[in-house]
Amino acid sequence: MADNRQDTTISMDWILLIAVLCVLAFGLIMVLSSSGIMAERNFGSKYHFFQRQLMFAGIGLVIMGFCATLPKRLIYLLHYPLLALSICALIVTLTPLGVKVKGASRWISFGPFSVQPMEFAKISLVLYLSYFFSTKQELVKTFSKGVLPPFIITATLCGLLLLQPDFGGAAVLAALLFFMCWYGGTRPLYLGGSGLLALGAGYLLIVQSPYRFRRLLAFLDPFKDADSISYQLVQSLYAFGSGGFSGQGLGAGKQKLFYLPEAHNDFIMAVVGEELGFLGMSLFFILMGTILFRAFTVSYRQTELRDKFITFGLALIISLGAVLNLAVVMGAAPPKGIAMPFMSYGGSNLIAMLLCTGLLLNFSRTQVEREGRGRK
Amino acid sequence: MAKATRTRSQSRSKRTATVNRDSVSKGRDWSRVRFLCVAALIAVVWGSLWARAFSLQVMDTRELGRRALRQHLTSELVTGRRGEILDRDNRVLASTLAIKSVFVRPYEVKSPYTVSVRLASILGVDPKFIRKKIRKGRNFVWIKRKIDDRAAAAVKKLGLKGVYLQKEFGRIYPNKMLCGNLLGYVGVDEKGLAGIEYAFNKTLTGSSSKFVVQRDAAGRRLFLQGAEETTPLQGDNIALTIDSEIQFFAEQAVQHAVEVYDAKWGGAMVVDVASGDILAWAQAPMFNPNVYGQYSASQRRDRIAQDALEMGSTIKPFLMAAALEEKIIEPDSLVFCENGKWRLHKVRIRDTKKLQWLTAKKVLSYSSNIGTAKIGLDLGATKYRDYLVRLGFGKKAALPLAGQSSGILRPLNRWTQIDLANAAFGQGFAATMPQLAEAYLALANGGVRKPLRLVKNFSLNEKVLNENSQRIFSEETAHTVLKMMADVVDNGTGKSAAIAGVSIGGKTGTAQKASARGGYGDKYTSSFVGLVPAENPRFITLVVVDEPAKNYYGSKVAAPAFKEIAMRHMALNGTLPDSEQSRLLADTASTERKPQYGERRFGVDGQPQASGKSVPDLRGKSIRFALEVYARQGVIPSVKGSGAFVKKQQPAAGAKWSAGNKQQYILWLSEQS
Repeated sequence: MADNRQDTTISMDWILLIAVLCVLAFGLIMVLSSSGIMAERNFGSKYHFFQRQLMFAGIGLVIMGFCATLPKRLIYLLHYPLLALSICALIVTLTPLGVKVKGASRWISFGPFSVQPMEFAKISLVLYLSYFFSTKQELVKTFSKGVLPPFIITATLCGLLLLQPDFGGAAVLAALLFFMCWYGGTRPLYLGGSGLLALGAGYLLIVQSPYRFRRLLAFLDPFKDADSISYQLVQSLYAFGSGGFSGQGLGAGKQKLFYLPEAHNDFIMAVVGEELGFLGMSLFFILMGTILFRAFTVSYRQTELRDKFITFGLALIISLGAVLNLAVVMGAAPPKGIAMPFMSYGGSNLIAMLLCTGLLLNFSRTQVEREGRGRK
Repeated sequence: MAKATRTRSQSRSKRTATVNRDSVSKGRDWSRVRFLCVAALIAVVWGSLWARAFSLQVMDTRELGRRALRQHLTSELVTGRRGEILDRDNRVLASTLAIKSVFVRPYEVKSPYTVSVRLASILGVDPKFIRKKIRKGRNFVWIKRKIDDRAAAAVKKLGLKGVYLQKEFGRIYPNKMLCGNLLGYVGVDEKGLAGIEYAFNKTLTGSSSKFVVQRDAAGRRLFLQGAEETTPLQGDNIALTIDSEIQFFAEQAVQHAVEVYDAKWGGAMVVDVASGDILAWAQAPMFNPNVYGQYSASQRRDRIAQDALEMGSTIKPFLMAAALEEKIIEPDSLVFCENGKWRLHKVRIRDTKKLQWLTAKKVLSYSSNIGTAKIGLDLGATKYRDYLVRLGFGKKAALPLAGQSSGILRPLNRWTQIDLANAAFGQGFAATMPQLAEAYLALANGGVRKPLRLVKNFSLNEKVLNENSQRIFSEETAHTVLKMMADVVDNGTGKSAAIAGVSIGGKTGTAQKASARGGYGDKYTSSFVGLVPAENPRFITLVVVDEPAKNYYGSKVAAPAFKEIAMRHMALNGTLPDSEQSRLLADTASTERKPQYGERRFGVDGQPQASGKSVPDLRGKSIRFALEVYARQGVIPSVKGSGAFVKKQQPAAGAKWSAGNKQQYILWLSEQS
């Protein structure tokens, strides 16, 4: 592998990189547009969120570059330490060290910045599951050694997330487990287990508060409770609707004027929809689609089993974020706090996503090499 | 969509490729199939989401867009700052200030408990009430409207998240009770509900426009350039003919009379003869429009305009004038006054003194009911009533006020001889004070009527103006009656109104009030009308005291109040003779009333000292207090900066108040005292 490193720069997946940079720039513009007025009123500066996001993007790009050049041997060593770190970090959020925002303690505070461990736990889980399925391929079909460990690990992470509570994060982890198991060749019977895990988590939540259950199903008929439960969704739909085909114009949206809660965050796509219309949304669908396509392509072209799993998981992380965020924002799935990769405001998510990109770029180098060799 | 199909077609081609290789190694192929299943699933979902965007943005755009627009736009009635009400020297009687209101954005509030407890202690409301409001609202909820500056500063200092202050306009009456009943008041929505505020609501409100404006979720209007204040729509000012200082004397005098004689109500008017301007419109008990909610409807009532009273003997001069004009009598004609008791068709008419033969002049001086009744009978109902009508009785006074009473003047066919006799000395028909003032104005003006003025920038229409400018009496008649009225004060019932060195004409009145059971009871209305100077009057002063309990003669109850007003009025104009001036000073010293706002104290040189000749030190004082101090001088300072307290002032403390409005007065504000 050491000899492959010379042609690092040339053999990287340039299309993936360019698509990511495009979406990143797009996101920065939208963060400025959607948060400007709110930031001016609450923080006295239009650029408050924009500047922070710009800084996060800078940090993220450095980390991306670092990950893209990291020797693979090192990556292979990281699964257990990272998993332990993730679990510890999630536990810390539940202690008084965690930062509570709107009733959920999902963050650990470091002075002016907070870190959301869930974003990095996803990557740790992917690395762990990849390690597990690639090194224990022969055990996969057995229950106690092939099925139980990944389920227990994932359940632990999910449980910690539900305690925060972060239903969206737990759902993403469960979905990651499900798809990784599916790819890894777990028996459909056991696979059903991961489905049950998700259902169980959902049930727990419903028992916890019936309100949340109503909220969960409100997306089916949002206009029924337009002023209360489905307020966010209705406001989001208004945004998309008033955008129309060509949009209100960049910066001219009205829904971000305190109608849409978290306009710069989870609902940033609603602002895109309102200001840039269906045309802008289509541009986004193409750019993000390219990222997803290239990410899965990178994975598909891997020859090493472990590389296949890692890249598959990373592609999944980005895909799940994009798909679930859009589904929530457009009223096709129950509401949960899931950020749009590369677009939504938020340091942890952005850096984690660029970290994923970095790793994918790293693996894309070997892909070209091997395919080239294969062609020979 | 194109993307999705691309992914799918690509995966399909890949899959065929894999299937070909399947025979070689089965395990790997299955994993490829599983991989492609996931990729395909995501591609399909991606495509569906794209389709969903299409359906929302292209298919449903009209309906959703319409709904969104409805919440973004609001048609808003934008009203400029309400105009001020000023007195004749442009001193502020009613003004509009920007006042703060507190609202909360519940979703920003972290702890409703802390917020409610802290706000409650400042605003003086129940914390539970605030919590309830916070829990109820989604985006925006008023906690308390129109709080005082101190509370606003305290709320701002708390800096609670989700708690905001909003600027609103609020009406203040810096002189508090001064002129209160006349000015009326405005409701929370800045709409005049009584008095001048009501009558001139349109002028004061000025132009208001309906705008369709953009708003955010909190309902705030959006100003894209950050320009918060646009005031092109300010209402016009109303300048009254009232002179605050004379108004203040009159109010004090009336209040004093009401207190001393334990009366139900008292009213006084001062009219400038040359212009017809009403200089004072005083009544007691007084009403403070700043806190109109604390008063009952009857306390807010402007009784001067709205209530007609039987005026009694203050009507007699008009009978005399009519009889003189019709040549029924001469000033020296003799009338027999029947020793104080006279029966006319079973009805007994009494005088307070046993009088025999009197000249017409003395009939007025001693206010003989019997003598007046006889003259009235000689004049006849038709002529007498005609004079009363032409003088303006029985018809609303031509003042721009709502709810005026037209008084009671019965139709001619119902006047019996007894009615005529009664009407001659002012019983059996009722008039408002402005009606009486207008009639006296005709006498004082040489027999020609002249419309009263209450508002400077208001003119009557021509028809009313002509009607109110007719000659009623000849100049000679008017002059004779004025001379007779001078005798009332010199030798008759009005002696207590006399001021040494000043010729004063007047007429007392003591009317028995009709009781609810019919007939006349034991309640009285005392009145006095005084003309200064007597023969060529410049000012008319009317005083009416309703239902005094301790004494009821007009000469005892109303005349002293007139005297107080007249003396202070003359002192103000510098026309009071020296001897009286010193007495007035002694009087003022002996009364223990505290000098109230607006009161002028008199120094040895007789010049009003006001509340200091120089600008006081206002630094650290509240803006409200400072504005009052300035308003007292008829000065409207410009205010710079924001906050509740004065930080700096220009000119500095100690500077002389400038005459005219040449000096610029500036106050700089800060949040802290």
